[in-house]
Amino acid sequence: MALFAIFQTTFFLTLLSLRTYQSEVLAERLPLTPVSLKVSTNSTRQSLHLQWTVHNLPYHQELKMVFQIQISRIETSNVIWVGNYSTTVKWNQVLHWSWESELPLECATHFVRIKSVVDDAKFPEPNFWSNWSSWEEVSVQDSTGQDILFVFPKDKLVEEGTNVTICYVSRNIQNNVSCYLEGKQIHGEQLDPHVTAFNLNSVPFIRNKGTNIYCEASQGNVSEGMKGIVLFVSKVLEEPKDFSCETEDFKTLHCTWDPGTDTALGWSKQPSQSYTLFESFSGEKKLCTHKNWCNWQITQDSQETYNFTLIAENYLRKRSVNILFNLTHRVYLMNPFSVNFENVNATNAIMTWKVHSMRNNFTYLCQIELHGEGKMMQYNVSVKVNGEYFLSELEPATEYMARVRCADASHFWKWSEWSGQNFTTLEAAPSEAPDVWRIVNLEPGNHTVTLFWKPLSKLHANGKILFYNVVVENLDKPSRSELHSIPAPANSTKLILDRCSYQICVTANNSVGASPASVIVISADPENKEVEEERIAGTEGGFSLSWKPQPGDVIGYVVDWCDHTQDVLGDFQWKNVGPNTTSTVISTDAFRPGVRYDFRIYGLSTKRIACLLEKKTGYSQELAPSDNPHVLVDTLTSHSFTLSWKDYSTESQPGFIQGYHVYLKSKARQCHPRFEKAVLSDGSECCKYKIDNPEEKALIVDNLKPESFYEFFITPFTSAGEGPSATFTKVTTPDEHSSMLIHILLPMVFCVLLIMVMCYLKSQWIKETCYPDIPDPYKSSILSLIKFKENPHLIIMNVSDCIPDAIEVVSKPEGTKIQFLGTRKSLTETELTKPNYLYLLPTEKNHSGPGPCICFENLTYNQAASDSGSCGHVPVSPKAPSMLGLMTSPENVLKALEKNYINSLGEIPAGETSLNYVSQLASPMFGDKDSLPTNPVEPPHCSEYKMQMAVSLRLALPPPTENSSLSSITLLDPGEHYC
Amino acid sequence: MDLRAGDSWGMLACLCTVLWHLPAVPALNRTGDPGPGPSIQKTYDLTRYLEHQLRSLAGTYLNYLGPPFNEPDFNPPRLGAETLPRATVDLEVWRSLNDKLRLTQNYEAYSHLLCYLRGLNRQAATAELRRSLAHFCTSLQGLLGSIAGVMAALGYPLPQPLPGTEPTWTPGPAHSDFLQKMDDFWLLKELQTWLWRSAKDFNRLKKKMQPPAAAVTLHLGAHGF
Repeated sequence: MALFAIFQTTFFLTLLSLRTYQSEVLAERLPLTPVSLKVSTNSTRQSLHLQWTVHNLPYHQELKMVFQIQISRIETSNVIWVGNYSTTVKWNQVLHWSWESELPLECATHFVRIKSVVDDAKFPEPNFWSNWSSWEEVSVQDSTGQDILFVFPKDKLVEEGTNVTICYVSRNIQNNVSCYLEGKQIHGEQLDPHVTAFNLNSVPFIRNKGTNIYCEASQGNVSEGMKGIVLFVSKVLEEPKDFSCETEDFKTLHCTWDPGTDTALGWSKQPSQSYTLFESFSGEKKLCTHKNWCNWQITQDSQETYNFTLIAENYLRKRSVNILFNLTHRVYLMNPFSVNFENVNATNAIMTWKVHSMRNNFTYLCQIELHGEGKMMQYNVSVKVNGEYFLSELEPATEYMARVRCADASHFWKWSEWSGQNFTTLEAAPSEAPDVWRIVNLEPGNHTVTLFWKPLSKLHANGKILFYNVVVENLDKPSRSELHSIPAPANSTKLILDRCSYQICVTANNSVGASPASVIVISADPENKEVEEERIAGTEGGFSLSWKPQPGDVIGYVVDWCDHTQDVLGDFQWKNVGPNTTSTVISTDAFRPGVRYDFRIYGLSTKRIACLLEKKTGYSQELAPSDNPHVLVDTLTSHSFTLSWKDYSTESQPGFIQGYHVYLKSKARQCHPRFEKAVLSDGSECCKYKIDNPEEKALIVDNLKPESFYEFFITPFTSAGEGPSATFTKVTTPDEHSSMLIHILLPMVFCVLLIMVMCYLKSQWIKETCYPDIPDPYKSSILSLIKFKENPHLIIMNVSDCIPDAIEVVSKPEGTKIQFLGTRKSLTETELTKPNYLYLLPTEKNHSGPGPCICFENLTYNQAASDSGSCGHVPVSPKAPSMLGLMTSPENVLKALEKNYINSLGEIPAGETSLNYVSQLASPMFGDKDSLPTNPVEPPHCSEYKMQMAVSLRLALPPPTENSSLSSITLLDPGEHYC
Repeated sequence: MDLRAGDSWGMLACLCTVLWHLPAVPALNRTGDPGPGPSIQKTYDLTRYLEHQLRSLAGTYLNYLGPPFNEPDFNPPRLGAETLPRATVDLEVWRSLNDKLRLTQNYEAYSHLLCYLRGLNRQAATAELRRSLAHFCTSLQGLLGSIAGVMAALGYPLPQPLPGTEPTWTPGPAHSDFLQKMDDFWLLKELQTWLWRSAKDFNRLKKKMQPPAAAVTLHLGAHGF
């Protein structure tokens, strides 16, 4: 028992001691302290990389441990980050851990320390933290050299939208440092006197050449240095969109996608994102050379399913997109080929094509589109390799375009591209009779029928119309039909038929055949029915026509119309109306305002004979008259005149002429009866008279005043207004008595003429009766008896027996002065050489002669002059001054001469010139008649005067010499001619 | 310095007019041995044309770099662009240069600038910009040939590049992108200054080479305009 007790005590003590030993061992080894802590840096990534080991770890033993890491910045006490790192630690293992700093490591010194604790289930609580390792100082020494300013991080690449911290390190704290982002100053947080950090939140992409940030150190205004960095901001890499793969030959898969934004940056800072295709079943990978498509070679025929991953990647990010598909479900067929048309006729065709064979027993779905005549038809058909489709219900002579595309029928993925071709159907005979109408003109003995037809529409022509056949058949007499073939595109023809009934058939013909015939019957009975024309008012939309139905059976009505003024053939139109319709609206764009259209409505009997029912005429829009009538003034009297414009046509006007407006202007304020006052467009007032009857083309304007001035203007008017304004025509009424004078004067003139004629015829008798000839004593027979006895002493009358009635004085010019009425200067004062004149001074004081003196004409010198029977008696105005002093120049002299001479001629009326003819025998100086020829010199002045009388006005003008002028004025001045 | 693409159409029109009338200028249209005069004139005209062309190109390229490089008053320190040949020179120094030295400096400068410019072309991201740069490089190559022609006409030897000093464009990874942009900026700026200086150089040389009689003829010929 004691032994057992001793054994038990020993065992217990042993166990206790073992336990105590074990506890001591662990107590010695725990906590396991991290040792050999080394810190390295990655400046580009701005990361600290820690590595350490754990001492005292049992051999081949693994322990879960937690490491606490503390990071300080600038100084150890400034802890900026504390974190735990849990891991399983093996014996002799070097542990690694990284930490990324938001601040560039170059900006500040960092300190790192670490401690650990066992966190393993094998060692239950309590566990103790080890002691801190010593601080490891981390400093990136890039701020070397002589520079005084540094900016970090250098040329960093970040993604758009990230936050970036930059800093500058200034060696000299005295410097004032300013920093700029893209030219704009930024403000930061000072970490220590040398370092300032700037937080840039969510940096944007500006350009692929990078965002410029620079700092400038200065003292005062002096720049001490400048440093800058370029921050490369990349656009965010997008996930590829619309990624899909397909095959058209089961040999190649063609994969496409939308790459999105290109994230390339300048200076090769980041190339464009790369794309890689990865197929998971085969494990194959392919780097794509294009940014939006890639071809994948199908190597294994057995692989039906593919799982593709498209990976887009740049320096900052990786994106991927995945598709899983069965190869047979992604078949994109090549477009069909050998598209042809067989058995093409007027309405049908067979379309054939081929499909690129993919695999055996493949069924294709094909879609056919047929385009023609502005319509599109679509058909689907299932085919194997050779496709065929029967195209029916086609239009003849029509060009169609047919195209086809195909797809895999079992697993529709997408249609192939189209393959198409054009084809044209053949022609067919025209399907409808041409619309035919006619105009029948009655001429003596025959009809002239002008046939019109409308060209067939393309739908009914079924090809190109080549000609029209017109068959004329006489219904009254059995005879052969006449065939007229009119080549297209003519649309009318003229037939001259006799007075029989005829049936006319018109067909349109193309290369295949003729259309159904259009039949018209021309009745032998002419259309002599008088139908009154009715006026209708059109609108801009056209004419609304209605008519009374034709009695009896009708197969329809025809309305034809043409321009009222134009040639019928030029603008002839018609419209067919059904038998139960008695009204229609003729609307066409061809209706022009101001043009009158004539409509005729025919009823067509069952025998196809047309019967004129009604005539209508009207304008789609009436316009005011375009011209005014030419007005004639008739029967102009002192109280009235008549205006007429008979030539004015009311038919060819741009509207129905409703009447005329007569405008009359006169000096009288009041208008004549029937006229009313009106104001013209120019504001002037006048009188207006309205004629409501368009056929009344004359107007008598009466109640006028004689010798008065009137103006009139006549213009027609329609419902749209009156004609253009024009000038007024002027009329002056004649004098009231002028007609009376004419009535009196004409007979009187006639009577006088009659008397004169009679007097001429009876002149001899009158002469003998009224003034018989007076006998001349010199011609007396007694004289002849005296001469015969030759007695020289025979004198009929002695001079001494005569009492002279004038004294003849011959004046001596020297020293003599003659005064002319006291105001006249003496001639001798100015002209001493003036020849003497012969003055006849009356002896009787009461002499009442016409002038102060009489110039005697010596008839001896110029017999011709004496025959004129006038002598220069010129009365002298006492006021007339001597003109010599005024006319110093030859021109003046000439003018004066001419004027004076004309005046002198004019001032000598023949009736007023009184001459006292003195017998030359009575002159005491020339008492002897025989002595006259012996004294040709005396008096020379009279000869000058006579010459004046003999020359004409033109010849009297002297030559333009000074001397001659002077001499002429001396001679011709009437003032100088006083005798 | 204003590197923006500004109102340059007037300048272009003027240049075109000058070019159009060049054959009519008697001083430049003499028969016989023309001497270096015509080639100097052509070099001068090409320089002015390149000045105009660069104005447009620089505007586009600096906009492509972004602010602050396209700002008109941006005048950064010349960092990292030390290898670019400087066009700026003291006026007295410039005056003291002889023709040979002047031409040699021009030739060397454009040889270097052309090399850098080709590097710029390689980095350009847009196709249109690459086309413009390639066109400008071709024109600059032409100018280089013209200068060589003038030098040959005057009997000056072409400068031989020293071994090891061949300018090369290297996209250095250590070279930050900002400094790279700065280099581009300075390259364009130096190019513009060089073209301006060359225009003055060639104008001076042209006047020097012109005989007095030709000047009179030119003066009389000007009445025809």
